[in-house]
Amino acid sequence: MTPAIRTKNLTKYFGDFTAVNGISFEAKRGEIFGFLGPNGSGKTTTIRMMLGLLTPSVGEVQALGISVSGNQAELQQRTGYMSQRFSLYNDLTVQQNLQFYGAAYGLNNVDLKARILDALSMAGLEGREDAKTKDLSGGWRQRLALSAAILHRPELIFLDEPTAGVDPISRRAFWDLLYQLVADGVTVFVTTHYMDEAEHCHNLAFIQRGNLIAEGPPADIKAKMMKGQVLEISSSDAINTVKILRAAKEQGKVSLQEIELYGSLVHVVAPDVEKEKNTIQKLLKNEEIHVEEMALIEASLEDVFIASMK
Amino acid sequence: MFRRILALVKKEFIHLRNDWWLPAFMLFGGVLELMLVGWATSRPINNLPLMVLDHDRSAASRALVISLENTETFALEAMVDDFQTIEDALERGEISAAIIIPPDYAEEMAAANGTPSLSMILNGAESIPATAALHAAEGVAATLNEELIIKRLKLSPDEFSGFAPRLRVWFNEALSEALYTTPAEMGLMLEFTTLLFAALAFSREKELGTLEQLLVMPFSSLEIIIGKAIPVIVIAFTDFLLMLGMVHFAFDVPIRGSLPLLFILAFGYLLVELGKGMVLSVIAKTQMQAFLLVLLFGMTDFMFTGYAAPVESMPKALQFFANIVPAHHWLEILRGILLKGAGMDVLWPHVLALAILGTIIMTFSLRFVRRALD
Repeated sequence: MTPAIRTKNLTKYFGDFTAVNGISFEAKRGEIFGFLGPNGSGKTTTIRMMLGLLTPSVGEVQALGISVSGNQAELQQRTGYMSQRFSLYNDLTVQQNLQFYGAAYGLNNVDLKARILDALSMAGLEGREDAKTKDLSGGWRQRLALSAAILHRPELIFLDEPTAGVDPISRRAFWDLLYQLVADGVTVFVTTHYMDEAEHCHNLAFIQRGNLIAEGPPADIKAKMMKGQVLEISSSDAINTVKILRAAKEQGKVSLQEIELYGSLVHVVAPDVEKEKNTIQKLLKNEEIHVEEMALIEASLEDVFIASMK
Repeated sequence: MFRRILALVKKEFIHLRNDWWLPAFMLFGGVLELMLVGWATSRPINNLPLMVLDHDRSAASRALVISLENTETFALEAMVDDFQTIEDALERGEISAAIIIPPDYAEEMAAANGTPSLSMILNGAESIPATAALHAAEGVAATLNEELIIKRLKLSPDEFSGFAPRLRVWFNEALSEALYTTPAEMGLMLEFTTLLFAALAFSREKELGTLEQLLVMPFSSLEIIIGKAIPVIVIAFTDFLLMLGMVHFAFDVPIRGSLPLLFILAFGYLLVELGKGMVLSVIAKTQMQAFLLVLLFGMTDFMFTGYAAPVESMPKALQFFANIVPAHHWLEILRGILLKGAGMDVLWPHVLALAILGTIIMTFSLRFVRRALD
């Protein structure tokens, strides 16, 4: 089967500015593909080219095996989109919004009725059909927007930062819905900058200043991009631990790549961090900081993200 | 296609119902404005406050004041004793006119070679009442003059004859101002309503961020345009019918020409303004921008319609510009059909101009909006 999405040397210039610089990747069918990058890195521009809202300057996007340019009408029926900004009409009721979506996609009344019931139960909005959409809280609205975007049963759905500004419990509930969709064979393409969400994707692509800097499953990306090991230090004074180690690094007393504060813990990164353990212990002891625990841990995506963005 | 357009139209009407004050304001605000303008202009100007400084205090001077009062244009505010009072009253805007009768008025009237005179001061700061006052005073003076000549030549009034122009006003026999203002106001209100609603069509969705979603749905750009246009047409045409009923029944503005022709041309004109409004709508990024653009275009059009100032008295270059303003032709058509009972045989140059302008505007608009949406 052809991949759900394939981009080839996808490039977009806005005048002199290169928003997206020759990125090529593939998303397989039936997976959650995460598209990561800091704000302004070209995520939304890429998604807009995938939807056919922007024409690429160079390169091509294929969705569901067909080229996006020139086949928008067909792809619009087979794909769904939920935008970063709220995509429903605030002054319409839940029912009116769903009806508009259904009619726009040409669903007949019998199908539409059944699917609206499905959508309501999926969003957990049974009995609130007549509520104005603006009166729903953020989490409910996001779930309703997703239900609306899949009302026509698309094979591929694009979500542009769908959980921005939503509380953690609602985010969790939203991702549960995404897993359900994937179980039904839908491909989900999602942009996010929540690293915990990125860990839940089957495959990831990292984009920075328009360039694709890594691609693959989260574990592979960590292995490939993390050029060292992560040592987690629990000490009596985390803030001063960071200061002391950074100063020592400057003076060449210890060879570490990264020294970052993680709450009350400190993460340090080095190619062979075990060798530095004694040096670290000594440095901290000199400053009367007590090391409670020092353990080698698996790098989180956030470690990778920060290390690679520097 | 039909189903999708219907879905859009339905959605637009739900927005209008939820945001009911805007359509209500446009529909009833327009009618209300028309009512006020019509009411204010359909009444003759009379009872303008007049002050008299009579230095003569004779039978002749009293007769003069009575003649002025009898015109009904003036209402005697006060007989005063000094000029200062008049000056103060004029400055405070309490009177529209003042008459100063010199001490020798009766004497000069009676003398064989006398030259009776009088002074009149008008409050020119309010030019419309001042003009009415001037006309009334000139009428009184002309009548007095005629009587004086007849008396001095010792003629009997029956023998006297002179220049007697026969002035007849066509289309608006009573020269009622309401017949001039209300059809024009109504034509302009139709322009504003159509432009405004059309201009909000896309700017509103842009501002709310829903336009992008609309564009990824399987609507073709033409379907979106049609779906957005239908509610605008319905509102604007309803507005037109309400206003037409209003001016016809409340202000006796006649409909002398063919009503079906008027409806067809009103519809055609509405499409032209719709095309303009849609272009403004895709240019504007917010509803406020759209509103300001409508105001700018509307006011420019207004200057060139010939309503505020006749097109014929404009410089040549501006006259040309007036001819490419659709509202100018629309007002000519509207007045032609309502007041003159004109048909296509007379109106065709304006209809043709409107058709040509309309075709250009609509073609441009359709291309421009489609390109913006694709």
